[in-house]
Amino acid sequence: MVSYIPTAEDFQALDSAREGDRIDRPSLSYWQDVWRRLRSNRRALASLSIVVGLLLFTLMGPLLWRVDPALQDLEQVSQPPSLGRYALVVADNTPAPTVTHTAISSAAVDREQAARNLRLLGTPHSEGVNLAWDPLPGVDAYQLYRHEYPPRDADDLGLPMARLMPQEISYRDLLGLETRQYYYSIVGVYNGKEARAYTTLPVVVEQAILFSEAEYRGLLSGDATPETAVGSSIRLESHPLGTDYLGRDMLARLMWGARTSLFIGICAPLIFVIIGLAYGGLAGYSGGRLDGAMMRFADFVIALPFLLFMILFKIAFGLGPGESGIGPMLLALVLLSWPATARLVRGQVLQIREEAYIAAARMMGATAPYLVLRHILPNVMGVLLVSLTFAIPTAIFTEAFLSFIGMGVVPPTPSWGSMCNDGIRTMLSHPHELMFPALFISVTVLAFNLLGDGLRDAMDARMRSGT
Amino acid sequence: MRSFLSVFAALGLSASPPLLAVTPAVDPVNNEISISLEQEPQWLTTIKATDAESSIVLDHITEGLITRDVDNNLIGGVAERWELTDDKATFWLRKNARWSDGEPVTAHDFVFAWQQVANPQNAAEYAFLMRLFPNGAEIIAGEMPPETLGVEAIDDHTLVAHLVTPTAYFIDLVTFISFRPVREDFYRAQQGRYAADAVNMLSNGPFILTEWVHGASMRMEKNPYYWNRDAIPLDAINAPYITEDPNARFNLFMDDKTAIADNLQISAMKMAMQEHQKLKSFSDGTVYYLGFNYREGRSTANLNLRRAIQSVFDAAEMTYKVIGVPGNLPAYTLFPRWLKGDDGQSLQAQYPPRKPDLSVERGREYLAMAKQELGVEEIPPLTILLSDQPQTAKQAEYFQNVMARNLGLEIRLDKQIFKQRLAKMSAGDYDLVMAGWGPDYNDAMTFADLFTSWNANNRGRYSNPEYDALITEALQITDQRRRNQIFARIQDIIFDDVVIIPQYERGFIYAQDKRIDGVRRYHTGGDLNFNYTFIIDEDGSRGVPD
Repeated sequence: MVSYIPTAEDFQALDSAREGDRIDRPSLSYWQDVWRRLRSNRRALASLSIVVGLLLFTLMGPLLWRVDPALQDLEQVSQPPSLGRYALVVADNTPAPTVTHTAISSAAVDREQAARNLRLLGTPHSEGVNLAWDPLPGVDAYQLYRHEYPPRDADDLGLPMARLMPQEISYRDLLGLETRQYYYSIVGVYNGKEARAYTTLPVVVEQAILFSEAEYRGLLSGDATPETAVGSSIRLESHPLGTDYLGRDMLARLMWGARTSLFIGICAPLIFVIIGLAYGGLAGYSGGRLDGAMMRFADFVIALPFLLFMILFKIAFGLGPGESGIGPMLLALVLLSWPATARLVRGQVLQIREEAYIAAARMMGATAPYLVLRHILPNVMGVLLVSLTFAIPTAIFTEAFLSFIGMGVVPPTPSWGSMCNDGIRTMLSHPHELMFPALFISVTVLAFNLLGDGLRDAMDARMRSGT
Repeated sequence: MRSFLSVFAALGLSASPPLLAVTPAVDPVNNEISISLEQEPQWLTTIKATDAESSIVLDHITEGLITRDVDNNLIGGVAERWELTDDKATFWLRKNARWSDGEPVTAHDFVFAWQQVANPQNAAEYAFLMRLFPNGAEIIAGEMPPETLGVEAIDDHTLVAHLVTPTAYFIDLVTFISFRPVREDFYRAQQGRYAADAVNMLSNGPFILTEWVHGASMRMEKNPYYWNRDAIPLDAINAPYITEDPNARFNLFMDDKTAIADNLQISAMKMAMQEHQKLKSFSDGTVYYLGFNYREGRSTANLNLRRAIQSVFDAAEMTYKVIGVPGNLPAYTLFPRWLKGDDGQSLQAQYPPRKPDLSVERGREYLAMAKQELGVEEIPPLTILLSDQPQTAKQAEYFQNVMARNLGLEIRLDKQIFKQRLAKMSAGDYDLVMAGWGPDYNDAMTFADLFTSWNANNRGRYSNPEYDALITEALQITDQRRRNQIFARIQDIIFDDVVIIPQYERGFIYAQDKRIDGVRRYHTGGDLNFNYTFIIDEDGSRGVPD
């Protein structure tokens, strides 16, 4: 029986690179998988875009919206959102128009008689409303009122503006004039008592700006002189989100305020998470007595009251009045917040340390740094990132709270918290001053929280098999 | 909006639970009204009281020798008539003045009370007032017994107060709470608990304090033994709420729980107008100003720096555009508009104050001179002390901006509570201060002596021999014409030397229930007085007390 003797040619070496069983889906790394999951979570994605938008608003905003957040536009105090109002340019230091007064025989004192001919002198504008009226016989004084609504009776004439001597039969109102309708009333005063009779004049106040102010703010063309510019109409700066109680632009203040809020919000968690990682990692990895001692110290730090330390640091820093408390705030946040992260990391490390693959790696001669870098750290990363995203809104909130109570930034530096504090005073009359900064705080905190939620879902290993 | 408000009112309520039955703002049936107090009165004894709330209550439950009518004219209180000479004041007391236990009020009660004010054991803040009388200064210093005070009761109904120097305004001054009577036997019987509670008090005023729940509420009822009880229309005044928050007090008013809301903020004024409430204005006589620290080494000790600030600070702009509350008036002098001159008009009309000629260029010239004199390239940042009131912060931020914009000066804000601000001022730990000064008595001297080198309230340590000499002279004469000339000269010194920069004379807007009238307000003593307040009948006529 002749059998075939195979030769070397009959054999062909298999290509070592060829795959045996082929999987028809692309292989995904852990982070690719997290991203895929996160992307399918619409809520988290929306939050992520808000966070990115916020960062752009903060970093790019002031470059595009070049308005000084400290500039006080007293012509437009507490204005609701508006785009470029027009204003009449008026001359500086115009004397109030004088009204000559003819003596009236005091024979016919009639307390039921209201002052006649209450009238305007000149155009009523926000730099002054000039009023005059005919004298009443026998009065001791005149009382002038200003109402924002039509008066109903003699007890409802609005704000008492001034009490004037009988020889004064004109008045210039300069007080906090807004561009709106006012109702001026004049009442005679006899023997210290106001008469019931009154005369009312409705006045619509126009927006105006002093020439010097317009010039200072560069609202006039270069060659404008008082002679040419006065009487013309110019466009004031626009305030898309309105102005605050000193006429400062809300949008600019929100942008600059975001810098403070986000600086604390991102820096503090970043630093204390790194400290917590190192501390917790070391405790967990070494275990034993060192672990016990380290964690007891962490417990001790957790028990320290934050606000007290914040104040102590402020003193220890030697900060004088009127100096920003941002430094001590950052320090206090970092020094007192790391134990939470440290505990989390230690727990994770303790668990991972006992895993079979760690034991296997160790038997194969892996060194400690290799184990930490290759196996432990990547496995801790997930929880760490989640705790970081949850720490950010907490820190932003803390900053807002501290600035709200006046422990944070100092005027004129804005911060969302201090803006809320300013806005709360005028909440009923000018709600936008409170609403915008409050909205920014709420949306930011919500966005970071939802993003953290989404990240946690995406990173949870037990949910990895799904979808 | 109503329901929105009541939520806030409810919040205000929870802060101080009303222990009295809920009383309406105005109760025509029982002839009572309700008010809110800002704070718990600190001391309800006239010997030690200093704060505004104590003064308000004490002005209802005690009466001095001289008092004021509803139009603030001086009228006899316990004293029926009086006589003031250069060296003494004599008071003849009315025989029908009684304490709330029916005993008569005698001259001995005044002598005892005034001795107690001077007694260093009581450490009364207003003890210095007793320096007016012989031995007063020595008693305060503990060098002589209180019984040696130069005030004597000739008999039960004649009181003689000897005066160290002629004091033109003594009759006006004697309306002050520290000059009220205290009955010795009752005071001693309380064994140190005098005026600690409603039961430990004896009244000689129109009202008696009948309930006092500390920190929560008070009730005052008409005093049946008061000599002039028929002139007092109300039967009781309730103070069921004590809260410092002006918004809470305004909301209590809007909810018809109190009859008056003082010190309205801009948003509250707008709300009150929307609800068609009656608004009134009141000037409390206080002048607010920018004070400087004159201590060695402070840049603010430099005259040209102060002139630079004076040249760019516009009091009118701040008053009208930043404060924006009617009743506040721009100030150009330390002496407010209500002070009287000697020719029938006001002191300001007689001696009109000079207004600074505002100019940024001149301000910068002064600043350049100041830098040269101080030998610095840049003026170091200046710290401005201010109170923790939100309105003050707004004014300070405005000032900060004006200085940065016109002079390039960096101003740092130092907000402090009142006591801390005073401590820092005394220690000289500031450059500028937003300060205010309210009158203690009805005379320009209450303002003028503020910057004498010996005045403890001259916390910036301004010192000017001419100023001191002028005040020393004015203190020793009663000739009103010469005194006013001196005050006019003081006014000039303050302007030329920029001792202070006046900012505004404070005014308030307050809302008053339309059903009441006769609320007395005055710029010294216990402001907000309801002794003559009455409830208007529904037909619009004046309610008649029964």
